[in-house]
Amino acid sequence: MKIQLLISLGATSLLGFSIAQALEIDATTQAAAQRVAIGTCATCHGPHGHSYSSKFPVLAAQQPNYLVAQLQAFKSQTRGDPDALGYMWGMAAPLDDAMMAGLADYYSRQTPQAGPAEDPTLIARGKDIYQNGDPAHGIPPCGACHGPGAVGTDAYPRLAGQHVPYLIKQLRSFQNNMRNVAVMHGVARGLEVADMEAVANYLQSLGP
Amino acid sequence: MRYPRALLEILTVLSLAALGLGATKAHAVPSFARQTGMACEACHTVFPELTHFGRMFKANAFTLDNLKQVRDIDATKQEMLSLASLPPLSVMFQISDTWLNSPLPDGTGGPGHSQTSTVGFPQQFSLFYAGKVAPHLGAMIQVTYANDSGTFGIDNTDVRFANNIVLPQETSLIYGVTVNNNPTVSDLWNSTPAWGFPYAGSNAVVSPLAGTEIDGALAQDVAGLAVYAMWNESLYGEIGAYRSAKQGVTNPLTGAAGPLDGTVSNVISGAAPYARVAYEYQWRRHDIEIGLYGADFKLYPGGGTATAPALLSGPSNEFKDLAEDVQYQYIGDQHIFSLAATRIHENMHLDASFAAGAVNNPSDDLTTTRFVATYYYKRKWGGSVSHFQTTGSTDAGLYPNGPAPGVLTSANGSPDTRGWILEANYLPWLNTKLSLQYITYNQFNGGNTNYDGFGRNASGNGSTYLLLWLAF
Repeated sequence: MKIQLLISLGATSLLGFSIAQALEIDATTQAAAQRVAIGTCATCHGPHGHSYSSKFPVLAAQQPNYLVAQLQAFKSQTRGDPDALGYMWGMAAPLDDAMMAGLADYYSRQTPQAGPAEDPTLIARGKDIYQNGDPAHGIPPCGACHGPGAVGTDAYPRLAGQHVPYLIKQLRSFQNNMRNVAVMHGVARGLEVADMEAVANYLQSLGP
Repeated sequence: MRYPRALLEILTVLSLAALGLGATKAHAVPSFARQTGMACEACHTVFPELTHFGRMFKANAFTLDNLKQVRDIDATKQEMLSLASLPPLSVMFQISDTWLNSPLPDGTGGPGHSQTSTVGFPQQFSLFYAGKVAPHLGAMIQVTYANDSGTFGIDNTDVRFANNIVLPQETSLIYGVTVNNNPTVSDLWNSTPAWGFPYAGSNAVVSPLAGTEIDGALAQDVAGLAVYAMWNESLYGEIGAYRSAKQGVTNPLTGAAGPLDGTVSNVISGAAPYARVAYEYQWRRHDIEIGLYGADFKLYPGGGTATAPALLSGPSNEFKDLAEDVQYQYIGDQHIFSLAATRIHENMHLDASFAAGAVNNPSDDLTTTRFVATYYYKRKWGGSVSHFQTTGSTDAGLYPNGPAPGVLTSANGSPDTRGWILEANYLPWLNTKLSLQYITYNQFNGGNTNYDGFGRNASGNGSTYLLLWLAF
């Protein structure tokens, strides 16, 4: 069986993602990727992409093109947040395009879960920002790109069910350009810490 | 006073065991970072304590390799060679100064006092080959220069093969084989002796008489072969056996490295079984492990000479060690906290030594308990508090009073020793550690005051130790 998957290669767009190109994932690659995912990636990213530690992102049901774009950014050392340097620059170095596609395919097929919903007030505030933005501070609605249920679209990542500390850390990385993504730098620039916490708590609480 | 040979051998064993407290252990290995392209923090909270990722890296035989490889395959695409383009070599260099609370007597008992401050430059200098050897095969080989011997020698070494498979429900199973030279050096947690706290200690201090065999007494003088498996990165089991592989010993007849004969001390009868089981559970940023480990060592006292031969047969001294351990880690972005504890219980059946009149009891027991709590802020500032205690049956043959003044002896034949270790650390970089360690004894070789019968107090053996530890 062969699975068609859109793989990001080449030039970058505003989000740092790229022009898609079709690659085939054959059964051998699929099996090899499953073994790497379970034998190596799962040590940090958890079984089926559900990481225990909020230091490491949940990968279950993540958009495959986003995953490939990130793996390429790690490999080319263009993603510069601290955990990218400390962990993923090394881990992505030996991955070829086929293995990246296989890993992206594996994680995109895992079943998503909602994370803990801890503070209803915070979640309500986060939902408002996510859906409507904060025009007074120049913050657009997140859902415009990440989709109504925050499941992501193509190169825009799934955010639903993601760990709160991980999301906040990424927003701060966009703010200070450690993750040099122009559109997210623009979005995150005006976000206060309290807003980040609200949005992150809302996103973590979202399920499939 | 003349001591029976067997007694001297027992003392040798105990002294080696006692070194477990103060012996240098090492070991952060930057060649792993070079090989994987990952920073120290992936495998260590702060070196040498392992994270879960570090444990899995070890269980997988150190083979995760992100360097460009020199490769070869056969006609069926079977991998014949996968060799890193650079060898995974690294260096450990320790510089230290140690102050004893009370100076030692000069030599063997003169009235003068030796220096209280001992500089080690280097205290220890180690070279490592640590990393992948071939697909599924890796090694951590340590060669160490120590200033007390002035020589290089083999240190902790672990050569292992591992593979992993995917089981139904997409759970993982890692299985492997290890060949190593120190019981528990193959272990994955920092609650067991070989990789337990203190991670570095002065070799210029006075160590207590008693220690269990599995607690480093046989380190580097044995060879062990063990198989292990880890299911779903949580349930771990290992079983194997150790046989004597003495270092620096030649057969007097052949001048060669062996076979070992009755002139050698504490030779394992046959092979000593070793077993380990542990369960690790992770939730959020927490990680807890509980486990058991143990071994059964039958040792021939040996130690004969050409004129007074000893046999490597007949009665032996048996040391049955059974231990529990627990480890907890919280690894946050700013704060890291860990606890580790172990309790080792040893039953001794000293048939050989009792028959030789070297011990007073045919059976003795010994229990060592250690606990350590460690905190780090941003992997830069931190410290540890540790309590250690060894208690056991009184045996004036096993823990004798010695020629005056004793220092390493016991006036009442008791092994009981307890104390605390306080350690403060600063790491300007992740591979550079500056440590200040203070050891205090509430009891030493069975006593608080005048433990040796010649006026020395337990507190006198306390020490302050300043260490610069470089790993590169």
